[in-house]
Amino acid sequence: MLPDRLVNYSVAGTLVVPHFLAEHDHQWLRSLLEEHERFVGRPRRELDARLRDPLPCECPPGKLKLAIDVLTRLGRSRRNAAVIPPRRARALVFVEATRRPETGTAVLSKVATSLGVSVAELRDSLFADLPAEQLVSARGQSLSAVELALRSNLALVQRLLFHAAMLRITVEGNTRFLVRHAKWRGLICTLAERSGHEGASLEISGPFALFRNTRLYGRALGELIPLLGWCARFRLRADCVLDGRHVALELATGDPIFPASAPRQYDSRIEERFGREFRRLAPEWDLLREPEPIAADGTLIFPDFALQHRSDPARRWLLEIVGFWTPDYVAKKLASYRKARVPQLILCLDEARNCAEADIPPGVLVVKFRRRVDPLAVLRAIGSATQAVAH
Amino acid sequence: MTDLPNGVGLAGAPGVLWDRRVRAYRAPASGYSALKRWLLAVGVRFEEISARPRSIKEAWSVVDLRAYQEAALSAWELAQRRGVIALPTGSGKTRLALAVMQRTQLSALCLVPTRVLLDQWSREVNAVYREAIGCYGDGVRRLAPITIATFEGAYRHMHEIGHRFDLLIVDEVHHFGGGLRDEALEMAIADARLGLTATPPRDTSAAACLSQLVGPTVFELTVGDLAGGFLASFDAITLYLDLSPEERSSYTNLSFIFKGVYTQFHRAVPGASWMDFSRHATRTPEGRRALIAWRQMRRVLSFTRAKRRAVRSLLERHRDSKVLVFTADNDTAYTIAREHLVMPLTCDISRQERADVLDRFRAGDLRTLVSARVLNEGLDVPDADVAVIVGGALGEREHVQRVGRLLRPGEGKRAVVYELVTRNTIEVGQARRRRQGLVTRSSGQL
Repeated sequence: MLPDRLVNYSVAGTLVVPHFLAEHDHQWLRSLLEEHERFVGRPRRELDARLRDPLPCECPPGKLKLAIDVLTRLGRSRRNAAVIPPRRARALVFVEATRRPETGTAVLSKVATSLGVSVAELRDSLFADLPAEQLVSARGQSLSAVELALRSNLALVQRLLFHAAMLRITVEGNTRFLVRHAKWRGLICTLAERSGHEGASLEISGPFALFRNTRLYGRALGELIPLLGWCARFRLRADCVLDGRHVALELATGDPIFPASAPRQYDSRIEERFGREFRRLAPEWDLLREPEPIAADGTLIFPDFALQHRSDPARRWLLEIVGFWTPDYVAKKLASYRKARVPQLILCLDEARNCAEADIPPGVLVVKFRRRVDPLAVLRAIGSATQAVAH
Repeated sequence: MTDLPNGVGLAGAPGVLWDRRVRAYRAPASGYSALKRWLLAVGVRFEEISARPRSIKEAWSVVDLRAYQEAALSAWELAQRRGVIALPTGSGKTRLALAVMQRTQLSALCLVPTRVLLDQWSREVNAVYREAIGCYGDGVRRLAPITIATFEGAYRHMHEIGHRFDLLIVDEVHHFGGGLRDEALEMAIADARLGLTATPPRDTSAAACLSQLVGPTVFELTVGDLAGGFLASFDAITLYLDLSPEERSSYTNLSFIFKGVYTQFHRAVPGASWMDFSRHATRTPEGRRALIAWRQMRRVLSFTRAKRRAVRSLLERHRDSKVLVFTADNDTAYTIAREHLVMPLTCDISRQERADVLDRFRAGDLRTLVSARVLNEGLDVPDADVAVIVGGALGEREHVQRVGRLLRPGEGKRAVVYELVTRNTIEVGQARRRRQGLVTRSSGQL
C-alpha cells in the first residue's frame, strides 16, 4: 500500500479533496513511462537516480512521486544480473574475509578465482538481490498514461480509506457484487434506508468500529473502491481521521479511478438462460437483473430478478432461483423474505434436489425446474396467482 | 443468555454497547471476564464460550528460573496475572514466558513482533514442550493450545482466534499502547496477560493505555541492575568525531533551514512532541522544506568521513572479537559491508539466510555483522563482545536493545560498546538521551 507521505490531498472545511491525476497530467505521465521503458532490464537504482532529476516536461512533484511509486510496484521483479547467486557469493566472500587477514581485494580475487569469474562480476553479484539492484521489469511498458493516472488515483483513495472506519454508499447496479465482497472481508453491511427502485443506501463498517475509530478495516474498505466502477451510479462518503482531524472523503460516479475486472453478470448458466429466454418470450414484461437489495432482520437479501409488467406497475414479482437445496436453507431464505414483507415472490426450486412437497412452506409461489427454468411456467404461475387474488 | 431478571438490562453491563447494525449487544472480547462476573452477579444464566483446551501437562519439561525471574513471576501472580515485566535484553524474558505457560498450563497465545522471532519462539517452546504448537503468521495458520503469532498475524486474525486462549503473552509489548494494532489485544478474551519488554513506555498516555490492555508494569530491572552478575559487565566508550569542512558547511545550511521552522513551532506550542511537529510541518511548504532538511542532515551524519576512519580502525583493532556494527540506515550498513567485507543483516536479507548467518556467527566463521535495525530487537544473537554504534534513530529504546546484544554472560567477559558521536551536531544530544536507558532505575519493583 502507498505510504502516507505520498498521499496528496487538501482539506476544504471538513472535506478531504484528493489531488487526482487527470487529463492535464497525461503529458508528463507519458514522459515518465518513456523514461521507465528506457531502463527496462537495468538495475532499479539507475532508474531511481534518473527519476531524482526532473523530467523533460513540467510536472507537479507530489503527483510525480505518487505515479513513480505506483509504476515501481507494477514493474517490480526479482530478476537480477548476478553471475553468482548473491547468497552464495555472500557466504563465500564474508567467511573468507573473516578467515584471512588480507585486504578486501585479495579476498575477492581469491574467491573469484575459485568460482571462475572476474572480481568485478563477483563484486556485482554480492548484493544483486537487493531491491535497488533488481532489474526493472517490462510490465510497466504496456501501461498507457491514462491507466497509470487511474491506477495512481485508486492507490491514493485506498490509502485515504486506510484511515476510515465507515463508508456510506448510495449505489445503483451491481450492489450484490459489492456487498458480497464486503461480507467476505468480514464487514457489516446495513441498508440505511429504502430508496425505492433507484438503488440502495448502504452503510459498511467492521464489527469493532462500534467501539472506536479503528484502522482495522481500512484495507478491506479500500478494496471496495475498484468494484464501484461497475455500479451504474454511486455516491460514497467515508469518515476518516487524517493527521488527527476528522474529515470526510466523497467520491461519485465518474471519478477517475481504476476499476476492478468486470464482475460476472450471472451467478449461473441457469440464471443467464432464464434471463435471455424470458426477455424473448415476455416482451410485455421488464426483467430486471439484480433488483435493489432488501433489508431483512439485520441482513440484506438479493433476489435474482424482478419481473415488472410494463402497463401495470402493481404486477411486480421478485424471483429467486434456488439451485442449492436443504430444507433449512430454504426455510431460512423464506423467513428472511417474510420478515422483509415481500408479498409477491416466486421461488424456483431444482427438482433434482429432492425437495419434498411437505418441505415447501405454504404461501409461496413455487416453480419447479429441471436444468432450465421455463419462462412460460413462471408466467403461468403469475397468471394463476393473479386470478386467485381477483377471485 | 436466557431469562434476564426483571429490571436488568444489558445496556448496564460493563463494556457493552447496542449495535444497531446487527440489532444485538456487543462487547470487546477483552471485557469477557468482567462481563461474565457481572452476569453472575446479577443472576443471569448464560452459555460460556466453549472451554479452551489446556496445554498437556506431561508434555512440559521443568523450566528453571533464576532468582530475579522467580521474583518477576511472583510479582505477576500477585497482580492477578496481569502486567508487564521489564527485564534487559539477554536476561531471559522468553524463559520467563515459558515458565508462565508451564506453570499455569493455560492455553496460551504468544505474540511476537516479527517473523524471525516467530521462528525463534517456536524453537524455544519446542525445546521444553513436546507437543505440536500452533502458528499464525508468515503464511501459516495453525491453531494449538500453545500458539505463536506475529503482531500482524494476530491483528488480521484475532477475530477468528481470540476466543481460543486464556493466557496472552506479548513479547516486546512496548509496541502496543500507542493505538497501532491495539485492537489485536482488545479482540482476545484472555484474562491472564503478560507483557515482556526491555524498555517499558515512558510516555504516560501510552503507559496508561498499555496498563488497560495488558496491565501495569509489575516488575522492572535495568541493565545496570544485572550487569556484572547475571549479565556481562561492559565499558561504554564514546568517540567524539569532527565533520570535514564540506560536511560542516552542508550541515550548517540544512540545520539553519530546519531550526528556523522547528524553533518557531516550539515557541508557539511548548511541550509539543516530534509527531506534533511533523504533522504540523507537512501542512506548509516551509514545514515540508524543514522536514527534508532534517532528513538530509541525518544523511550527512549517517556515515561521515571521520566515522568511516573510526570504523576501519575499530574493526582492525577488534579483528579477533565478535563485533556488531549498528548503523542508522540500511544504506550505511551496505556501504560498511562493501568496504570491509562484513556480512550485513538487514530486512532485505531473507529469513533463512539470516538464520544461517547467525549460525556462522555463533560458530566463529563470521566475526562481524553490520545491521541497521534487524539486530535491535528480540533476536537471539550469539554472544558478541564489541558493539560499534555508528548511528541510530530510535533513541533510548533502541540503544538499550542494542547494548543488550553484548550482555550474555560469559567467563570473565567484559564487553565494549563504542559510540561514534559527531561534535556540535544533533548527535550529541541524541547520544546523551539514549544513554539514560542504561542507568539503574530501581530494583525489582514489586
